[in-house]
Amino acid sequence: MSEAGVIHDIGYQRYQGPRLGRAALLGALYTHGLRSAFGLGRSAKSKIFPWGVAGIVLLVAVINAGVRSQIGRWLFDYYEFANTMSLLVIFFVAIVAPELVSRDIRSGVLPLYFSRPLRAADYVMAKVAALVTAVWLLLGVPQFVMFLTGAFTTKTGMKGVWHELGLLIPGWGYSLLWALIFTSISLLVASLTGKRAFAAGGIVAVFLMTAPVVGVLSSLPSETAHHLAGLASPIALVNGVEIWLRNRTDLGLDIGDFGPIYGIEAFCLIAACLLLLLARYRKVASL
Amino acid sequence: MSTVAYITARGLFGRRRVLLLLPLPLLLAGLALLCHAYGVDPNQWGQAVIVGLGFAVVLPVTSLIVGTGVLGSEVDDGTIIHILTKPLPRRDIILAKLLVAAGVSAVVSAVPLFVTGVLADNVHFGLALAVAAVVGAVAYSALFLLLSLLTRRPVLLGLVYILVWEGLLGRFVSGTRVLSIEQYVIAIADKIAPTDILPGKVNLTVAIVMSAIFAIGGTIYAINRLGSFSMAGETS
Repeated sequence: MSEAGVIHDIGYQRYQGPRLGRAALLGALYTHGLRSAFGLGRSAKSKIFPWGVAGIVLLVAVINAGVRSQIGRWLFDYYEFANTMSLLVIFFVAIVAPELVSRDIRSGVLPLYFSRPLRAADYVMAKVAALVTAVWLLLGVPQFVMFLTGAFTTKTGMKGVWHELGLLIPGWGYSLLWALIFTSISLLVASLTGKRAFAAGGIVAVFLMTAPVVGVLSSLPSETAHHLAGLASPIALVNGVEIWLRNRTDLGLDIGDFGPIYGIEAFCLIAACLLLLLARYRKVASL
Repeated sequence: MSTVAYITARGLFGRRRVLLLLPLPLLLAGLALLCHAYGVDPNQWGQAVIVGLGFAVVLPVTSLIVGTGVLGSEVDDGTIIHILTKPLPRRDIILAKLLVAAGVSAVVSAVPLFVTGVLADNVHFGLALAVAAVVGAVAYSALFLLLSLLTRRPVLLGLVYILVWEGLLGRFVSGTRVLSIEQYVIAIADKIAPTDILPGKVNLTVAIVMSAIFAIGGTIYAINRLGSFSMAGETS
């Protein structure tokens, strides 16, 4: 009964059932990534840091909601909430991004992944989607808590709820922008090293060292330099996009008429980081 | 002891890893040069570059990566057992590692800070910044070396210290300044060369005594911990 190419047939039964394709692999990687972002299915030790950050962010939202219900005014609205939490978001991606990609490099399982019908693009897509979802949940859930308070304490009935919802949805979109930018940069840094410790330090270094550059560029004597200063740091870049899209002037960053440049750079930054990440895993996948 | 130091240094620098430490100091000195070239008043850019970038980011982050790297990465790989089984006093191992960590962090942060100080004011100010950076590097290295013996996730705990304790709380809650190495460093630099650029908020005596406590206490406790160190299995 043996086929031509088989040397020994020792009688094991072949797997005849349906084989799940790339989509199932992608879905499994995504679910696993999202679960490990919050340490689900892992020991209590690995839950401390992600849940600690999530707890603080939620606590701030609850305090904010409490203030709103008492004095009828936000301490900070949906946008400012994301801005205020920037240090904690940096810390969160510094915890989670190495967890998602550096562990795989460290334990040498990438060749096993890529011996399946999985492609480099699928792997990158699953990891990026998992981290984007995790960061978005980190900001989006507290925003939703704030929305619930706003909706329940509204004085104008259904109209007030709709108005509040109209504020929440762009706020969620803004959180998504945060998630995309922070995810693409942190995953790129984390994919360079298999040591989680170095990856976490590198991610924080990238975000922290670019922040003072904005302040320095703003002190230069050139008007154009003031307006373009925000391009130097991812955090200021996101703020700049908000200023451009919402015509805000009170956020401490003056972007002049360069709003579209901020939008273009945000898009290019995300695209460039993702392409570099893809190139990195193309190399691994072809080994 | 010199062999331990040599191996540690090679672990830090080997295979072009030294290049990873370059961008931070280069950015610091580059920004100072840029501002100097444009002729901006040092009182405007000094605080952002020296405190905001130098003392708040370059010094602690370099010390964190190097300080937890010298021992933590060996604990992680399990190669620490090769050193521990040699007939060497644990004290010597810690001292050699601390020497390398503090030396590397001091050079990486003090040199660009010296350049920045010279550009901002004069050589005296540059030297003050460099001396303060060396003190800070020793204190931070001892702290982070100790952390890498106390926990399996030293970098994350160190980041909590830098980001939350010194970054967030140090800015708003004045009481936390007494336990913040960043504030000691600023106070020491400000005392050696008083300028309007540095906001020294801690008493000099407190700064010196507390830096010494961090450095010496951290080292002694680290020696103590390594003395009773046990190889643990893979966790989390």
